Amino acid sequence: MAFLTILAKDIRLELRTRESLAAMVVFALTVVLLFAFAFDFTPALRGTFTPGLMWLTYFFVAVLGLLRVFGQEKQLEAYDLLLTAPVDRSLIYLGKSAAFLLLLLVAQLLSLPVFVLFLELPLAAAPVYFFLILLVTDLAIAAVGGLVAGLSLRAPAGDTLLPIILFPLLTPILIAATKATSAALAGQPFAEWDFWIMLIITFFALFVLAGIFTFDYIAEQ
Amino acid sequence: MQTFHSIRRNQVLLAITLLFAAVNLWLIYEVAPVVAKQEMAQKIFYYHVPLAWNAFLGYAIVAITAGLYLVKQDPKWDIWSLAAAEVATAFALLILMTGPIWATPIWGKSWSWEPRLTTTLVLFVIFLGYFMVREFAGPYERSSRYAAVIGILALIDIPLILTAVTWWAPEVQSHPQMEMVNQPYAILRVFFFSLFSFTLILIYMLLYRQYVGALVYRRKIAQGEIDHV
Repeated sequence: MAFLTILAKDIRLELRTRESLAAMVVFALTVVLLFAFAFDFTPALRGTFTPGLMWLTYFFVAVLGLLRVFGQEKQLEAYDLLLTAPVDRSLIYLGKSAAFLLLLLVAQLLSLPVFVLFLELPLAAAPVYFFLILLVTDLAIAAVGGLVAGLSLRAPAGDTLLPIILFPLLTPILIAATKATSAALAGQPFAEWDFWIMLIITFFALFVLAGIFTFDYIAEQ
Repeated sequence: MQTFHSIRRNQVLLAITLLFAAVNLWLIYEVAPVVAKQEMAQKIFYYHVPLAWNAFLGYAIVAITAGLYLVKQDPKWDIWSLAAAEVATAFALLILMTGPIWATPIWGKSWSWEPRLTTTLVLFVIFLGYFMVREFAGPYERSSRYAAVIGILALIDIPLILTAVTWWAPEVQSHPQMEMVNQPYAILRVFFFSLFSFTLILIYMLLYRQYVGALVYRRKIAQGEIDHV
């Protein structure tokens, strides 16, 4: 119940302002533009680079989203008030992470045409597998992201600490997501790259459990 | 005034550690057989592998003491955790240095994205973030708790990173340690002595760092930097 309340609060907040979503989508477009200029790749190479560039962009977008979703709690000391709520702290972690997950998914769906159009992402080759990869990877990013943002949120240098802690922890996810996306869009059968999906799901399960157990200590007053 | 080395137990430990280190050097350069093709470059194996053992043992201690700190709220565990993190990261840096030293003559290039080396590098970077949290995440108690959580997350991440980087680049030259069990007895004998000798160094460094950590903690309390005792 508390989980849904927090989730609904964040969705309502975003629907009223739409500032996080707009920032994330425009940022994705900007980064893609920079990539297109920075790497002068021939059309033949584009297919090998695009999944990696896409996930790198989404990692940056995720940090932006985390800074928004968790950063807005800083205003008017909303976070301290949230922590006084008589609910299990792990529900706050799950609620905030779920709100971030939704935001990230919507931002990705809105910026997906950019990759298809400018970087020739062959999305049509395996759309179902692509969205499966997108979903499990975002679950993993949200599981760690919610936890790391929860702890860097109240630090004086929190905004800078967030990517420094988050990115190294997410290394296996970047590898797995990129490899799985490349394989799926190259038309390889699921059985040849399903271990990447399993790795991502394992990562998600371990870190969401770690989050539930440790968020209590992070969120102390 | 009492110092770390004025305690009898520590003097004995230091003496034993130094003795073992000296004998270890002699064994490595005089007793261990020279391996064909690799010659002297192979000697670094007696350092590199025990360094890795020390680093990962250290990181395991970080996670265990971090968990104890979170559950028991006793600052003593936090001091242990910080000590282990610093010592383990120093060893991780040494792994990252000795690996390329060995790889330069043998593989013909300094760095290869070999799974274990890559895992160590990622872990090293995670712990750079860990120390930044310690320094910049606000009041002492809060940053200690945050660091404890990161220490635990890092340990959970190790097998996942290793799995991911192993599958990521299967064509990269595999690590020579794969054939450890096939090594001749003459090499294994020296290797295990070296492993033990390096573990003594780890224990000595941990105790020393913990002693200093406890002093720093007491000073922080005296200076009023820590609110709740």
